[in-house]
Amino acid sequence: MTRFADAAVTTDSPEVGAVALRGVTKRYAEHTAVDSLDLDIRPGEFISLLGPSGCGKTTTLRMIAGFEHPDEGDILISGRSVLGTPPYRRDVNTVFQAYALFPHMTVAENVAYGLQQKRVPKPELRERVAAALDMVRMRGFADRKPTQLSGGQQQRVALARALVNRPAVLLLDEPLGALDRQLREEMQLELKLLQSQLGITFVFVTHDQDEALSTSDRIAVMRDGRIEQLADADTIYAKPASAYVAAFVGQQNFFDGVVSPDGSGVDTERALLRPATPLAGLAAGEAARAAVRPEFIELSVDRPEGNVNVAAGDVIGVSHLGEMLQFLVQLDERTAVLSRRPAPDAPSLAVGDRVWASWRADAVQVFPAGDAAARSGYVPPPTVQP
Amino acid sequence: MRKARLPGFALAIPAWVWLATFFIAPVAVVFYYSFGYKPGLFGTHATDRLSLDRYVEVLTPTFFETFVATMWIALAGTALCLVIGGPVAYWMAVKAPPSWRGLLLALVLVPFWTNFLVRTIGWQVILAPEGWMSQAAQAIGLPAFDILYTRTAVLLGVVYNYLPLMILPLFVAFDRVGEPLREASRDLGANRLRTFWRVTLPLAQPGIVVGMLLVYIPLMGDYITATVLGGAKGNMVGQMVAAQFQTAQNWALGSAMAVTLVIVIVLSAAVVGGLCWLGTWPLRRANRVVLDAPEEVTA
Repeated sequence: MTRFADAAVTTDSPEVGAVALRGVTKRYAEHTAVDSLDLDIRPGEFISLLGPSGCGKTTTLRMIAGFEHPDEGDILISGRSVLGTPPYRRDVNTVFQAYALFPHMTVAENVAYGLQQKRVPKPELRERVAAALDMVRMRGFADRKPTQLSGGQQQRVALARALVNRPAVLLLDEPLGALDRQLREEMQLELKLLQSQLGITFVFVTHDQDEALSTSDRIAVMRDGRIEQLADADTIYAKPASAYVAAFVGQQNFFDGVVSPDGSGVDTERALLRPATPLAGLAAGEAARAAVRPEFIELSVDRPEGNVNVAAGDVIGVSHLGEMLQFLVQLDERTAVLSRRPAPDAPSLAVGDRVWASWRADAVQVFPAGDAAARSGYVPPPTVQP
Repeated sequence: MRKARLPGFALAIPAWVWLATFFIAPVAVVFYYSFGYKPGLFGTHATDRLSLDRYVEVLTPTFFETFVATMWIALAGTALCLVIGGPVAYWMAVKAPPSWRGLLLALVLVPFWTNFLVRTIGWQVILAPEGWMSQAAQAIGLPAFDILYTRTAVLLGVVYNYLPLMILPLFVAFDRVGEPLREASRDLGANRLRTFWRVTLPLAQPGIVVGMLLVYIPLMGDYITATVLGGAKGNMVGQMVAAQFQTAQNWALGSAMAVTLVIVIVLSAAVVGGLCWLGTWPLRRANRVVLDAPEEVTA
């Protein structure tokens, strides 16, 4: 494993592994899949393109790989424009969604394929294939055919087949989508570990926010062919740039209203939501949307003292999430809020109980209105079709 | 009350009965007749004395020559269909816009809407010395061409009649390889040509074999194309077998010829298949990757 890792880090210039997209646009007959996209990927970073289906993330990846060609703009890999460079001459390799292993070749032959194209001498080829299979713990399966492997094993082979070529950039197109949950979480950790060992730039396309949050150095949340926010996982989660990002990453309780006359909060029919910091860029009376994450909503039977944001309601649902308990509280006929409390010190509440929901001012995020779904209360993240 | 359940093969019974009655039994009868003889001017066959004499008769130079000529036409026809139909099938499955596919497949099948014989006679009209092709050639100063009733004419007709039988299985074979595997190959550094040789072709191989057999086998027994376009010079085995049954009324000899034909088809297909397998062996060997056994893991 270490032998492989040492060999992979051959940075002849500081640019190797950098990817830059400059005003990239891709149009199909009816719609614009990618809309003047600018993105700078740093060498050796693990970046995720996150978004629902149809947001342009896969098209972006395919343009970096060379399978699609941008209508406008430029793509640079390791500092050089690759427009007009066919996929087989780009220093990138892809792990495909359905793995795309060659069914007529053994596992070893699949992994050797890229090296054979580069006419790597046989002894070196065998050594590198063996090292790559060791790396993904598939050495013992070298002589099997892909059809004799489970989904997780095929996934590892696909990873080895791409990494054995020591590309400057590895592209991953929803590679964990077909795996069951436990295996997926295991592979997320492994991917992250591999990437930090090899120092290769990973560009990871996913619609799964957990996958993006747990693996990435930075996440680009995409929407309608544009990047809505590009930041590290903490920032994306704690300081979403828009209501869309807030809704897509994690869960949110949304409250629609207008900015209060003194400009200190958002006035809804139900409650006044006051954020910790003054509202920037929003005038009094302007429509706004406030968001509070379920884990910041506390529940108590008695009206809490000192908390500025309070609302009364009825518990209409309780569910266990393992380490967390989740409550759904109806504030009025149109608004319900979701609250998530750690199981050990969660209040013992049952459906029908009258409770007070409260949240701290610094848990409130305020966005301009007219974004995302126009519904109050708990808004599930946009539907995703894998 | 227990519900009676049909065994799993029940639905296949009609097909088996059909095959046994109309295929296996007649073939068995032909096989049996081939050991008999023609008893006299008015009898077609007799089997009271069984011998291999008819097979000896089959192997006389006249018959042998026709066998060789038939095989030449069948092999050349199959090769031509492969060379012409292969690129068409590849284009339809890989390059053509997916929305065209239905139309393209329909176009390939259009000739089947007309009777086989009528289509072949159509070629007679085209190729005739006074036909429009010849007239057009003369109009631009070329000599009148006279290829009707030659082997060339037979080959032309054969390619025309059998091309769809080659294109369809090849189309399915190329289509089933799928774009993702070709993309994976190009992603791993193989250009289009190498992708074709290492991914598309090996995976399409079963379909190519089916297409070749689908053309070669009926072609070996075809005699309509040969009769209509080849005349006396286009003599093929199928024609000879038909003549023994219909004109000469010698069923025993006809049966021996038919059985010999079947054996030749099976043997020649096996020989061609074996040669292809042997021919590509060095290539497959060069691409094989066998790793050394993993080092012993010491706990």
